[in-house]
Amino acid sequence: MDTSSPAAFVNGDLLRRYIGQKVRAVVQVIRSDIGSVVGKTTDDQQIVVKGSPPPSLTTYLEVIGIAESDNTIRADVWTNFGDNFDAGNYNELCKLANGEFRHMFI
Amino acid sequence: MANSVTQDGIATVLSSQSSSSVRPEIVVQVIDLKPVGNRYTFNANDGKKKIKVVLPATLTSDIISGKIQNLGLIRLLDYTANDIPGNSEEKYLLVTKCEVVACALDSEIKDSTGIVLKPKDKFVAKSASQRINEQSGNAAPAARMAMTRRVHPLVSLSPYQGSWTIKVRVTNKGVMKNYKNARGEGCVFYVELTDEEGTQIQATMFNAAAKKFYDTLQMGKVFYISKGSLKLANNQFKTVQNDYEMTLNENSVVEESKNEEMSVPETKFNFVPIDELGAYVNQKDLIDVIGVVQSVSPTMSIRRKSDNEMIPKRDITLADETKKTVVVSLWNDLATGLGQELLDMADKYPIIAIKSLKVGDFQGVSLSTVSRSNVVINPDIPEATKLRSWYDSEGKETSMSAIGSGMSPSANNGSRAMYSDRVCLSHFTTNPSLGTDKPVFFSTRAYISFIKPDQVMWYRACKTCHEKVTEAMYSGYWCENCQKKNEEYSLRYIMAVKVSDSTGEAWFSAFNDEAEKIIGCTADELRKLKSEEGKVNKFQTKLKEATWSEHLFRVSVSQQEYNSEKRQKITVKSVSRIDFAAETRLLLRDISKNKNTSQF
Repeated sequence: MDTSSPAAFVNGDLLRRYIGQKVRAVVQVIRSDIGSVVGKTTDDQQIVVKGSPPPSLTTYLEVIGIAESDNTIRADVWTNFGDNFDAGNYNELCKLANGEFRHMFI
Repeated sequence: MANSVTQDGIATVLSSQSSSSVRPEIVVQVIDLKPVGNRYTFNANDGKKKIKVVLPATLTSDIISGKIQNLGLIRLLDYTANDIPGNSEEKYLLVTKCEVVACALDSEIKDSTGIVLKPKDKFVAKSASQRINEQSGNAAPAARMAMTRRVHPLVSLSPYQGSWTIKVRVTNKGVMKNYKNARGEGCVFYVELTDEEGTQIQATMFNAAAKKFYDTLQMGKVFYISKGSLKLANNQFKTVQNDYEMTLNENSVVEESKNEEMSVPETKFNFVPIDELGAYVNQKDLIDVIGVVQSVSPTMSIRRKSDNEMIPKRDITLADETKKTVVVSLWNDLATGLGQELLDMADKYPIIAIKSLKVGDFQGVSLSTVSRSNVVINPDIPEATKLRSWYDSEGKETSMSAIGSGMSPSANNGSRAMYSDRVCLSHFTTNPSLGTDKPVFFSTRAYISFIKPDQVMWYRACKTCHEKVTEAMYSGYWCENCQKKNEEYSLRYIMAVKVSDSTGEAWFSAFNDEAEKIIGCTADELRKLKSEEGKVNKFQTKLKEATWSEHLFRVSVSQQEYNSEKRQKITVKSVSRIDFAAETRLLLRDISKNKNTSQF
């Protein structure tokens, strides 16, 4: 994976802006299969994360990878974020990081 | 004495520079006088030409005192003409010596054909004190005033300056108070004076002077005042922003300015958003608010405890964009007069701005008017326009909550208390007199930045009542409080810690329970570590581990006397761990708040 550019913080709505680009998102795990995980973004939208998820998953999961479509991410980095996570705060972060404070992130 | 400029003066100067060393003394008019750093520059006008002039810093005081005035005439006595860097065509004059010829004329001299223009005040310029001394004693004060009406800005006054005259409006007036002290009886009143620049100063008059000027100095009127004395302001009673305060005695001169208009700047407000009022509860400082009037109560009669007198009161509820409401109690005339006005227009939800409100803790947070409060209905200021459009578009429908709910100062361990009255450390450093009358409570999030290893961190305490114990005669420890001798004592913390956040740093005092949470062990345990020998200083390590840990503190701020100096004392009432999600929500709220204010 090309690590030179930063990954944009995305929720369900923002994912479509970065198709083909590197993104990161925290999702709540709904279902996990071999090769993919179905998760709920912090703005309550369902996306599919393809790749090799870790063997055990906590409730919340952060993935970093390339946005393949407006509801799919091909992830290379998977990090368990535990069971206690404030999705609301993260969602506000996504909005600020892509809006008024974009210049601080991208 | 010339009261005109030297014809072709500038041309003469410029031509003589290149030839001889003779400096022709010329009279020029001062135009566009302005400060650049600590020096002043102006354009010298001789009716035909203009040239830039730079005055040395030594002459700045003459300008501030009003000797050298814009549109006035000065004679240049000693100067050099220099090239303007980057512009070889033009020159400027660096004047080292000059004398004032006339004070401000009516306008810029355009015609240099020798027409003498009458200066505003027809007299020869001399130093202010020279002038006063020369005036014959039999000139009536009014006539004298007319001759010497060179007005000094309030900001230029000091105890060391001899004669000055100020032109001010009475913006506040206290009632005449009678007093009795060791030296006898007397009466006193004060006024608040504001000049055209907006500077304010308090002026006090005693006894004869008080009686002399009480009726003259009416609110809202403009006066020329001179022969008052200045001294450093007594911080305890300061009501206006000024290092000095003025006293007028019987010899002071107060003359009403009947005809001339004076533009006193509109009341300067410093609004506190309703959701930030918590930080001001029970403090000495008066604050200003602006909000939409949501409701007006009928007039109530309250019995004043001090003299059993019945005084009128009316409560109004104000709301602002923070979606919080607060109750403002209007007293006396504000309740009956203005309060009735507000009731009559209540269905229009007027905007009011109030200056100088006291913040109390009734029902959490309450606002009260005092005698010097000033209310403006629907003021013509940007904040009011903003409020109006917010209220009309969304505010009217929004459900709001009272700022006081959940903010009782006595709750000190509840988690709610950690999120209301939230301040940064800068709030303590910029308000040194917090907690002067009674202690004030705040919550703040900060890092422990330093714990001095060689301070007295603990004391020997009675195991029962925690008071300090002293060594008893032969063995054991005596507790004065319990009146008992104990076999053993327990150590309890009493520690000073330095804390830091992104806005500053402060020293907090922590007692046992809170210090234990900060250090992570009891005082007995820590003392044991201190006495342990070995390569690793476990005591220092323990302190180091506690350093740069972040905590949520609930503190009380009060004033302590220290070598006859008042010092701010901040005591930790409780410590708790950071709830990151809750803190994030607070930060998000602050971000959105800043976004709204910076748009205008």
